[in-house]
Amino acid sequence: MTRLLRPTALLNLALLLVIPTTVGAQTAPARGGTLVVAISADPGHLNPAITTSGATHAAAELLYNGLLGRDERGEPTPELAESWTIEQNGAAYHFRLRPDVRWHDGTPFTSADVKFTFEEVLLKLHARTRASMSGVLAGIDTPDIRTVVFRFKQPYAPLLLQLDATEAPIIPRHVYQGSDPQTNPANLQPVGTGPFRFVSYRKGAEIRLARNPTYFKPGLPHLDAIVMRVIPAAGTQVLALENGEVDFLWAVPGPDQSRLRTDARFRLAQTSYHPGGSNCIMTVGFNLQRPLLTDVRVRRAIGHALDREAFLRQVLFGEGRVAAAPISSELAWAHAAGLAMPAFDRAEAERLLDAAGWKKEGEATRVARGVAGVADGARLAIDFLHFPAFSKYGELMRQHLGAVGIDVTPRPLEPAVFAPTVFKDRSFDTNVISYCNGPDPEIGVRRMYHSSQIGPAPFTNAAAYRNDRVDALFDQAGRTVERDRRSALYRQIQEIVVQDLPYFWLVETPTTRAWAARCDGFRPWTGLFAEAASCKP
Amino acid sequence: MSPRYLLRRLAHVVPAVAGILVVAFVVIQAAPGDPVLALAGQHGDAAYHAFIRQKFGLDRPVLEQLLVYAGNVIRGDLGHSWVHGRPVASLVAERLPATLLLMTTALVLSSLAGVLLGVAAARRADRPTDLGVRLAALVGYATPSFWLAQLAALTLALGTGLFPVQGISDARRAWTGWRHALDVLHHLALPALVLAANELALTARLVRAGVVDALGAEYIRTARAKGLPERAVVRHALRNALLPVVTVIGGRVGMLFTGAVLVETVFAWPGLGQLLLSSVQTRDTPVLLGLFLLVSGAVVVTNLLTDVAYAWLDPRIRYE
Repeated sequence: MTRLLRPTALLNLALLLVIPTTVGAQTAPARGGTLVVAISADPGHLNPAITTSGATHAAAELLYNGLLGRDERGEPTPELAESWTIEQNGAAYHFRLRPDVRWHDGTPFTSADVKFTFEEVLLKLHARTRASMSGVLAGIDTPDIRTVVFRFKQPYAPLLLQLDATEAPIIPRHVYQGSDPQTNPANLQPVGTGPFRFVSYRKGAEIRLARNPTYFKPGLPHLDAIVMRVIPAAGTQVLALENGEVDFLWAVPGPDQSRLRTDARFRLAQTSYHPGGSNCIMTVGFNLQRPLLTDVRVRRAIGHALDREAFLRQVLFGEGRVAAAPISSELAWAHAAGLAMPAFDRAEAERLLDAAGWKKEGEATRVARGVAGVADGARLAIDFLHFPAFSKYGELMRQHLGAVGIDVTPRPLEPAVFAPTVFKDRSFDTNVISYCNGPDPEIGVRRMYHSSQIGPAPFTNAAAYRNDRVDALFDQAGRTVERDRRSALYRQIQEIVVQDLPYFWLVETPTTRAWAARCDGFRPWTGLFAEAASCKP
Repeated sequence: MSPRYLLRRLAHVVPAVAGILVVAFVVIQAAPGDPVLALAGQHGDAAYHAFIRQKFGLDRPVLEQLLVYAGNVIRGDLGHSWVHGRPVASLVAERLPATLLLMTTALVLSSLAGVLLGVAAARRADRPTDLGVRLAALVGYATPSFWLAQLAALTLALGTGLFPVQGISDARRAWTGWRHALDVLHHLALPALVLAANELALTARLVRAGVVDALGAEYIRTARAKGLPERAVVRHALRNALLPVVTVIGGRVGMLFTGAVLVETVFAWPGLGQLLLSSVQTRDTPVLLGLFLLVSGAVVVTNLLTDVAYAWLDPRIRYE
């Protein structure tokens, strides 16, 4: 049995002593004040347990808590649960709840709320939690009002990383019991346990929150009120920050960053966390069912032909990193260092294409000479599907691959059309998808490679990649709780897929938050980002 | 105008709107894209998709969906939004006042200023005032409103600091009473000006052309010959010149709504524009159909009002 009582508290203390963090304010934080936050879409409702919508989560997570929170490195911290133990090699998890938590309406929070939220709401309606847990969870027990036990059919590794307010916000049983959680009026008059309580919601315009005076974390929050303003245009958000109308932006577009960075009135911070999807990598997917792309030499040639530094500079304006491995570097324990990723090398790309039977014959585009499954003389022409917002990726693909004799036709498709075209009709040669790894590879990485994930469900195994060894390794990693052993398994997986190249990983895309310099104490790496924030008047 | 004529025209509204709804329904169905995928986001599995599909009746044949929808609309029920989980009627009703405020202000501003500028230009035809108005109108009409909106936000709001760039009211201060009204006007100024610019330009050009035409007519010569003051002469000319203007203003309510969608998005004006945009992106069909119903109804009714205004402006027109 592994015992992990408040496992990160000591580590956090050590970090605080060694590194000056952004949270460790030099002076006591100011009390009071109103923070105005720009959100880019009207959330529609404020119940984060029934949806994975980034709009709802960005607006509503401050009203709620998860059993656990997350620290700057994404590791679990105590929240509604003050301690936990892992039993039976990870087939059972015991949580001890805090005794002093009350819902915003005064009702005490108990283990029954946790059981109800999971069984009746999260496992039915929260797409990520449902997809990852509903098949393996055997039951949730509540031996007393302060104890919750999750029992799994087999050891289940990622649980501790999917219990924060993004993955599993806890909602009140006494409010939702016996109702349809999707139409309950409380979705518009939310009752939570979080640092802020609900005041008002003007549809399409703004949401007002006020300090929860009985919050269970002593001394928090500092702010009196938060106003979430719906501002759909990113450019207008930046102007509103510069004009002093709002104080906090979830994301600053690349071209505006340098201007804000040199302005003393603002602070910027980069994070890979987002309530709509964390640790995202822009990934080129190859349709392995197309004869043009079945030869790994062609895929490797494409990898060598792409100058990923250029993507970083020209598309992201430097905001991000070239992907060094299939798993995000933000998941440091799972990210494999020193892999043999194809480096930018046009000569090598040309050599590989020649060897694969794609010859240059005077024309700009190569033609097939003895390629299996392809008629002799066929041109090496592929399409490239992308969201309209990612059109710059299409331009660079066309340019970089054109230089080695591959003709690329970008096809912009809006999201509601892109998903069925790629995953249901499989009507594409290549595409680019922002695959978000999430808090654990089991949640966001497995779906890209496991052969059980080939099918119409969107943003699963787009390549239709099938490798029994990789399947087995993922299954084993999902059942392995010890970090070191899991890291080794994910390293093996990454070594194999870098050889097979069902995908090519372009750039990691963190986002940049910005706020007014008179405000401080933000935690951009969590949905409870303003729990400890304060603003000078 | 006989009451029978009005009744007959009103009776035409119903089949027109019904036809528009059916066409809209078919077009939305025919458009590629799947609302369930939009709802599920990146991580749903097949069982989750089936569950959502069944919950919203999307697993039923299209004809059945259409009949169910039509039946509900006849009973006055516009259905529930798939994304918001709330009645379409209340979603629209919550946002309608802001859009109406913006559109009415822009329409009144552009009509009044357009007529004034048009008359001023016509009275000084081919002189500097006229050339200035014509050039400004040409530029104003050719400028896309989303670009003008961004320009206005950059220069008039951020440049001078006089105007806010977003919203309908101040986020930090919850004013009430007349201070609130002033606050809303302050926030309304830029979006209304930008939205009015296009219409103003068009109206001014039409009025100018109409008045210049009319001023050359025989009856104006008669009016001048019998010694009427110039003001009265222009009034005579204006009444004739306004006929095409009324047609254009009435016919452009739909265009104005399109402009409002763009302007609302840039200025974060909490009206129907944002709702329309997000509903298109998520394929929220009940909301889209509700909005089509509203806008097409408004266009049909304004056409009727235009015809009525015609009869009032031109005594020669008689509807039977």
